[in-house]
Amino acid sequence: MKRRRKGRVNSEAPPDQSAADFSFSLTRVAVSQICLSVGYTSTDTSSTLNSLTLITTKFLQSIAELAASFSNSANRTEANLFDIVNGLQDTALATSDCFPGGSTLHKSHCLIKSAVLRNLSDFVASAFEIPFAKPLPRLEIGDSTRVPPRSSPEMKSIPAWLPPFPDSSLYLDRCKEDKSDRLWENSDSVIACESFPERSRGRNRRSGSLPLRRARVRFKVERDWSNGVGSCNSDTRLERWRDINQDEYEVKKKIVEEYIYGADVDAGEWPR
Amino acid sequence: MNQGQQSGEAKHEDDAALTEFLASLMDYTPTIPDDLVEHYLAKSGFQCPDVRLIRLVAVATQKFVADVASDALQHCKARPAPVVKDKKQQKDKRLVLTMEDLSKALREYGVNVKHPEYFADSPSTGMDPATRDE
Repeated sequence: MKRRRKGRVNSEAPPDQSAADFSFSLTRVAVSQICLSVGYTSTDTSSTLNSLTLITTKFLQSIAELAASFSNSANRTEANLFDIVNGLQDTALATSDCFPGGSTLHKSHCLIKSAVLRNLSDFVASAFEIPFAKPLPRLEIGDSTRVPPRSSPEMKSIPAWLPPFPDSSLYLDRCKEDKSDRLWENSDSVIACESFPERSRGRNRRSGSLPLRRARVRFKVERDWSNGVGSCNSDTRLERWRDINQDEYEVKKKIVEEYIYGADVDAGEWPR
Repeated sequence: MNQGQQSGEAKHEDDAALTEFLASLMDYTPTIPDDLVEHYLAKSGFQCPDVRLIRLVAVATQKFVADVASDALQHCKARPAPVVKDKKQQKDKRLVLTMEDLSKALREYGVNVKHPEYFADSPSTGMDPATRDE
């Protein structure tokens, strides 16, 4: 009997694409399962089931709206049990047959004394569980069709939690477009843009490794005492001193320090 | 003093019952799936990470539908059965949810359903039985 019922529901449902239709047809399956558990075997027209489904969704949404408004009026964004019970109480007043004793919450100060909640508790204890007919398909978060994989996973200097780089075709295309426009053909930006793809390729940034043959740098530290007295200054400069060879640079570190000994001794600190 | 103690004990019992009920919701699987309820709740501006409360709403909705359906069933059973000539049809008596019963049941819940008195589901519905047989 159940199989026939399910078959009917599936055959009635058109191939819905939009989310609203999808959720509506899911609710319709759930509602028809509940009707089946009560004892019904079929409906006379599909509109009967549709209207019951529509009323079910309206009921659900009205509870949710009431609970949300209760929580918002209490300066909260997240609803809690009190809001839901209050919302259920308000709904119970409207649908008195469903939850008798809907107006008794405020006499007692405890939530479980609410007749609505007690009714629900009895319902959960007594009613049979009717699980949904089919497991719902969930969109997997790591779905490769939605999220493009990191284009350069080898770059270890970039933390993994950062969003991936945009696809290289996006900015490369833009560079080409700019070139074709020829609006700024003599400006530096265009020249830089033109050389960008070549540069990025030449640097081999993907591997993250330095080129094997590169310029050697030497450091030389020199202290300059020649400046006048008067303040406590410390100045460190790095200067490119001279090119020894074609591939070798020497950098002179020039430290200019000026002291007034007396003042610093008074202060109890040795000049740094 | 005594009364205060008694009320305190009663409150404690009620708290325990409430906790037990909420814990039982973790094991109970409502017919309306959690994801579906979450979707409708999110559409209404309801925000709550607690699954138990989402299930509470689902259970309330399930109870509503079950009550409406059982009321409609009572209406269906209370109606005098039509005279059936054929024995086969008598055996094959099925309970059919009709719009008439549903609207009667829903009226008690404050929902007024207006449905057309006559609804042609298929071209042959409204035709005379004699002509339909031919």
